[in-house]
Amino acid sequence: MPERDERIIADLGLRRERTRSIYDYPNVIRALSVLCFLVAWEIYGRRVDPLLLTYPTAVLQAAFALITSGELPRQMAVSLATLVVGFGASVILGVVVGLIMGRSRVASAALEPHVNALYATPQVALTPLLMMWFGLGFTVKAVVIFIFAFFPILINTASGVRNVSGSTIEVGRAYLASRTQILFKVVFPAAVPFIMAGIRVAIGRAIVGMVVAELFTAITGLGAMLTLYGNLFETAKMFVVVIVLGILGVALVRATQALERRMARWKETERAS
Amino acid sequence: MALSTLEQQALTELDLARARPFRLVDHLSLVRATSVFGAILLWEFFGRDVNPLFLSYPSAIARAAVQLLGAGQFTQQALNSLQVYFIGLAGALAVGIVVGLLMGRYRLAEYILDPFVYALDATPRVALIPILLLWFGLGPPAKIAVVFLSGVFPVLMNTFSGVRTVSAGLVEVGRAYGAGEGKIFTKIIMPASLPFIMAGVRLAVGRALIGIITAEMFAAVTGLGALLIRYSSALATDKFFVPVIFLALLGVILTRAVEYLEKRFAPWKETERAL
Repeated sequence: MPERDERIIADLGLRRERTRSIYDYPNVIRALSVLCFLVAWEIYGRRVDPLLLTYPTAVLQAAFALITSGELPRQMAVSLATLVVGFGASVILGVVVGLIMGRSRVASAALEPHVNALYATPQVALTPLLMMWFGLGFTVKAVVIFIFAFFPILINTASGVRNVSGSTIEVGRAYLASRTQILFKVVFPAAVPFIMAGIRVAIGRAIVGMVVAELFTAITGLGAMLTLYGNLFETAKMFVVVIVLGILGVALVRATQALERRMARWKETERAS
Repeated sequence: MALSTLEQQALTELDLARARPFRLVDHLSLVRATSVFGAILLWEFFGRDVNPLFLSYPSAIARAAVQLLGAGQFTQQALNSLQVYFIGLAGALAVGIVVGLLMGRYRLAEYILDPFVYALDATPRVALIPILLLWFGLGPPAKIAVVFLSGVFPVLMNTFSGVRTVSAGLVEVGRAYGAGEGKIFTKIIMPASLPFIMAGVRLAVGRALIGIITAEMFAAVTGLGALLIRYSSALATDKFFVPVIFLALLGVILTRAVEYLEKRFAPWKETERAL
């Protein structure tokens, strides 16, 4: 636009600043909203019996105390160790059995009724039985996490394998690929996006399984801290644990999402929430 | 397409059915049935050898089921659980849909509420159970709160993203024809986001079931979860399996029911398939 036009616009006062609206600063609104909530909580929480409700500064103090005493890091390490073992086992077994079920219709027919029945059962209901079988220690927690996380991975892997287009496999065959080569070079890579989607769903469930197992065994881990401080009516410390679990959940889901984008960027898969 | 007698005859003479070798792939329902019956038989056979304190076997479970159902206690606890479950779920649906609609439609509501919604959604709800029991006691209110919290977020998040995907064009056409905000909500936004809402409901039904069982197990006073704890503490494994099987059936029935409703109410759109 030539300079003259600009001047005419300016002379006539035609330029109008776009009206600013609060919607241009969503994060300000968010921050204000959270701040208001925290202040209200602080004011109200101080007036309520501390056995029932706590307030933000008390939660911060409790968090500081739990971290410096080393209790929180220690219990978190215990929880994470069981999570790694249980979840790792469910990924390995879920993918292997899923590949078998996806490739062989006979295996699928033989296993499907059992898988569906176990998947339909709310896995929490099995926890007391598992505690009878495996005691209260590390094993039972790993097993509970395994059971919680196994089925989404298995089911997604199987459906991913079934979705591999027949023509890619035929091309592989035409180039004289062996059965193992077809499995590892054609079928598996094609199913990776589905597997990753299953893993993302599974990680959330694994955390739930971890908390449930620890709530009931109530000896070690973050869930046990919840039970312990619940029985002691130390609400501030309970909130610390809840917040840690929330952060852990977000971090792990984000991590799997990042992994998913890296490993499976070529395909838009079903979004499971 | 009926075969003529001549064709029938030709078929029997050629005996095509026997010409093909027997392959398991052709008899998948047979494989399925064998697998199920095989598992039940093996369980019955080996389960009898195991100490009954640790593992039961199918016929004992069947006997326990008849006994429990006859005594009426099981039915009472199941009804107790179901009542709490449906109250909590209804609350979750109402609040989830309303808040989801508001957050999807009004940016101010979205910005004010989304930090809390995301934070609570990320927190494993089971971790809140001890706190909720502390606040609401061991009775129904705590369980309703647990069911509510387990169910509300899937509905809310799905409703929210459903409203967000309603095309602006539809709303503008509505406006151009003079529809008020109320009309736009009920006639355009609600129907357009219904498939998403139903997908959220399907997720919520399963999560709420897990929520109520965990809460009842933890409180261990009434309901099916309490029965699970009671029977496992008494090492009555045969009775323990009765609520487990009931819950599995309940889960399947509820999910099927929602899927049916989903097809009825929102058949026009293929939505994201959530596990």
